[in-house]
Amino acid sequence: MDPYKVLGVSPDATDDEVKQAYRKLAKKYHPDRYQNSPLAESASEKMKEINAAYDQITNQRKNGGASASGSYYGSYSDGTASGGGSTRFGNVRILISQGNYSQAEEILNSVPSTERDAEWYYLMGVVVYHKGWLEEANNYIATACSMDPGNAEYRSMYNRIQAQRRGSGGGYNVSTGSGCTGHICTDVCGCLTCLLCMNLCNRSGS
Amino acid sequence: MFGYLQPDKSELRIKEDELYKSVYCGLCRHLGRDYGFMAKMTLSYDCTVFAMLALSLENSNCKVNKASCTLNPAKKCLYCSSDSKAFELAGALSVIMAYYKMSDTISDSGLFKRIGAGTGRLLLSRSYRKASGAYPSIDAIASKMIDKQYEAEANCVGLDESSEATAKGVSQVCRMLSDDPSVQQILEVFGYYVGRWVYLMDAADDLEKDIKHHNFNPFIPKYNETGKNTEETMLYCNEVLNLTVSQIVLSYDLLPVDRFSPILDNVVYNGIPAQQKLRLFDKYKKGKEEKNRDYSDELF
Repeated sequence: MDPYKVLGVSPDATDDEVKQAYRKLAKKYHPDRYQNSPLAESASEKMKEINAAYDQITNQRKNGGASASGSYYGSYSDGTASGGGSTRFGNVRILISQGNYSQAEEILNSVPSTERDAEWYYLMGVVVYHKGWLEEANNYIATACSMDPGNAEYRSMYNRIQAQRRGSGGGYNVSTGSGCTGHICTDVCGCLTCLLCMNLCNRSGS
Repeated sequence: MFGYLQPDKSELRIKEDELYKSVYCGLCRHLGRDYGFMAKMTLSYDCTVFAMLALSLENSNCKVNKASCTLNPAKKCLYCSSDSKAFELAGALSVIMAYYKMSDTISDSGLFKRIGAGTGRLLLSRSYRKASGAYPSIDAIASKMIDKQYEAEANCVGLDESSEATAKGVSQVCRMLSDDPSVQQILEVFGYYVGRWVYLMDAADDLEKDIKHHNFNPFIPKYNETGKNTEETMLYCNEVLNLTVSQIVLSYDLLPVDRFSPILDNVVYNGIPAQQKLRLFDKYKKGKEEKNRDYSDELF
């Protein structure tokens, strides 16, 4: 496929313009945005396509010189998959990382209510979020956070959902009194994305 | 359906607005041609957006011509036409959904509304038979959607469960817009959240009416929890809707839309927020406050 078409720029575009277009798309399809989304896999495919197109263009422009630094932001940091068997619900985490959400839900549902700890609420939140029951997910994650306030994993998902409720990912933001006008509004508002931007800037220097 | 899916016109360029109108008029024309004059009465903004999405995903050619409007012969309008299935599909969806909506009104409304809906349904029955004959799969989806909705409302379930019927229905209809399995998967997710958003938007918009008539509404528990404070409840509704929109945006960003993309982008990024602002907040403003729009930030 034509790499210029993938990045949405003309073949006459300057190096800077290509880089800018690439960065914009890399933010749009960044794995962090698609965490726990049923479309995480599709986003990752798209990311690979963009990385390959950018590599191809930079290589061509270097007159076939040394190959560019390889993939950039395509790696997946699936928060829910890490930890493996070290936690109480290691098996559920493995199922989730494999995309087997229905079996994960079944196992979680079979846990008696007296034995449901913060991790159970967190994982249940991840499972129902994936199937689109966003309000229940919000309640589960909030419960997990209140049971274990120091846990960074639970807190991070909680913060992400709260930001989306305020309109960081689209919709109407009451405090600014406007809808989002940019295409990738998440990347302007979310604090997660400020880090991401910094990350992008640092990497571009290398 | 409900008219919630539409672009924010103030953010459309003039040529985009013309093209959007031409799809609206094009759908009207196709409705008349395929399903008879009465079918034109079911024309809606939602189905226009659906037709545009279908045209965009097919990436087929469409022509824009000028002709006089059949409802108002004095007016000339641009209308878009295409040989593809897009308009046919959107037309069938429009007729079938309107027919079921009328059946729903007949089963749970007051006498006058029931008479109106009954007459409407009778007039539409020929168009409905034709549309459901041509697209039995849409008919099956719509019929199941209404049944499940009825069941959910009878059991007074929560927000996620009550919106599931519409979400799944729209998801299945959107899936029909592509033959490519990877695009179908994105369309399913996109449709699910669009359906969920439309249902919840309608519920938030109808809250006062439903309270007055003692109808089911998934936001009533929150309304009672806030001590019957409408403003606070609407802020909550907006949060629920925003969370859903975040998922619409994620799936929309992955769809291979090309043609019509400026208008479709507008619907997702501007039209949806504009509807939330209008139906949850501006609706409750009185008189001058509502009319005087503040442009100071936007123009300079």
